[in-house]
Amino acid sequence: MPAKVKEIIFSTLVIEMRNDLELDAIIEDYLLGKLNPQETEAFEQLRRNDATVDHKVVSHKFFLESMEAFAEQVRLREQLNHIHAEIDVESLAEELRPHPSKVVQLWRKHKSALAVAASFLVLSLVSVYSIQHNTRQKEQFVLLSNQVNKAIKTQNSLIRKINNAPATTGKPAVQSSVGGTGFAISTNGYILTNLHVINGADSLYVQNSKGESFKVKSVYTDPQNDIAILKISDKHFSSLSTIPYTIKKTISNIGENVYTLGYPKDDAVLGEGYVSSKNGFIGDTTQYQVAISVNPGNSGGPVLDNNGNLVGIISGKPDQTEGAAFAIKSKYILEAMRAIPQDSLGANKLTANKRSLLSGLKRTKQIEKIQDYVFMIKAY
Amino acid sequence: MNNSLKSSVPTDREVILGILNNSADTLNKLYKGYYAMVLQFILNNNGDEDDAKDVYQEAIIILYNKVKEGNFELSSKLKTYIYSVCRRIWLKKLNLNSKKAGNITDYEDVFAVEEDVEQHEEKDLQFVKMQSALEHLGEPCKTIIQDFYIHNLSMQDICEKFGYTNTDNAKTQKYKCLQRLKKLFFQH
Repeated sequence: MPAKVKEIIFSTLVIEMRNDLELDAIIEDYLLGKLNPQETEAFEQLRRNDATVDHKVVSHKFFLESMEAFAEQVRLREQLNHIHAEIDVESLAEELRPHPSKVVQLWRKHKSALAVAASFLVLSLVSVYSIQHNTRQKEQFVLLSNQVNKAIKTQNSLIRKINNAPATTGKPAVQSSVGGTGFAISTNGYILTNLHVINGADSLYVQNSKGESFKVKSVYTDPQNDIAILKISDKHFSSLSTIPYTIKKTISNIGENVYTLGYPKDDAVLGEGYVSSKNGFIGDTTQYQVAISVNPGNSGGPVLDNNGNLVGIISGKPDQTEGAAFAIKSKYILEAMRAIPQDSLGANKLTANKRSLLSGLKRTKQIEKIQDYVFMIKAY
Repeated sequence: MNNSLKSSVPTDREVILGILNNSADTLNKLYKGYYAMVLQFILNNNGDEDDAKDVYQEAIIILYNKVKEGNFELSSKLKTYIYSVCRRIWLKKLNLNSKKAGNITDYEDVFAVEEDVEQHEEKDLQFVKMQSALEHLGEPCKTIIQDFYIHNLSMQDICEKFGYTNTDNAKTQKYKCLQRLKKLFFQH
């Protein structure tokens, strides 16, 4: 092939390429709206006449759109990368990485459900706690009231302070003592009273309705039930005749008439009333509440029903309520008696099995019968 | 940090308006607002930080484009949407790499976003084509095209940057590059 032809072919190619380039530039300018109206019209004319040009326009349009979308995405990605660089990924990842602890994993996974469950749990715990707390408060109240009760027992225990003027007793150096009531539980000189009557006393004496005093000693104490059993150890004491009253085995009903004989003063005093409550101070089941007006000195006195059955022992009275007293239930008398060697009590002891000798008697006769068995306790 | 990020999360409405108005600040807050959520999801499902970044950016781009196209309906919380998209993308990747995807640990509610993700993937194919065409273009064409079409540099700037004697030379060079690029782009 001659060199001339070669050159022509080459130059044609170059020209074609140049034309292509120019066409591309014009197409782009056209698509971007950079051509002036005349140019635009001329170009559209060309496009209509030349299918190749039209095709080029369409394809370039598509390309430019693709390029623009691509460019936008690249710009957005650059922007996002820039933002991403501001985040402390490492520490965040450390915080959120799968935790070795299953518990933490579980927590993250079910955070919301667990939060609901937890709040429910907390709620129930709070309510349970508040219920418990209320109960505890009540318990504390009971405890507190027990203390109050104790305080009443000490403060309001029906112990009579006996002012022993030196002139009335022959005993020197004793200025005062406390007194209470006690009653015989056997014919051979066992006397039952309240523990608080004799507590802390150096020496104990009992005095019967005739004014005779006998020295006694404590043989048994039951602090829980506030019961003490004394034994007359005086050689001048002669056995009593059969004990007229018996122990009531059943629980007394509310409204049951009862009475007590006691020594709030130097002479025996009768107090009458009825069982007003089956329980004692703040539900104390070991006691009854009885509607009997009692005074200091009545402590340890027997509470009897109309038939001469021992219902209980006067032990104290409520602080605020007038005309009421608490009586230890009679079954604790039996309990206390069982603690003493049975043969030492002798054959004629207080029992629950006999029929009371007082049954059917008028009150005055009953008093007459029991007054020899009710003693004034003097604790020095 | 997590908390400080969360505190600045814009409301869903703010995000939509911000994207429509090309607000860089909104995009910033949006990105930081939900990143931790996705990072946690990926980290706890056989992925690493880089996976999280890729998936999350993909999701943000999907959201962004959808909003820009004007067919994003705020029928659910944005957070749920982003999470769902990320989840879908990540599941696909796991399946692609035949990694175990049996037990996906979820942290948020999920709803169907398959269509959105698929649409995006189709579009992405175009982007991949363009990207690979650019890669094959070689220098200086690649940079010239990028500078002109992506970074919106003027021909004057490009002329100076590449040391062409005049703008016409630069223009000629650009159209030469463009021609080759189009060839590469349409070839595939």
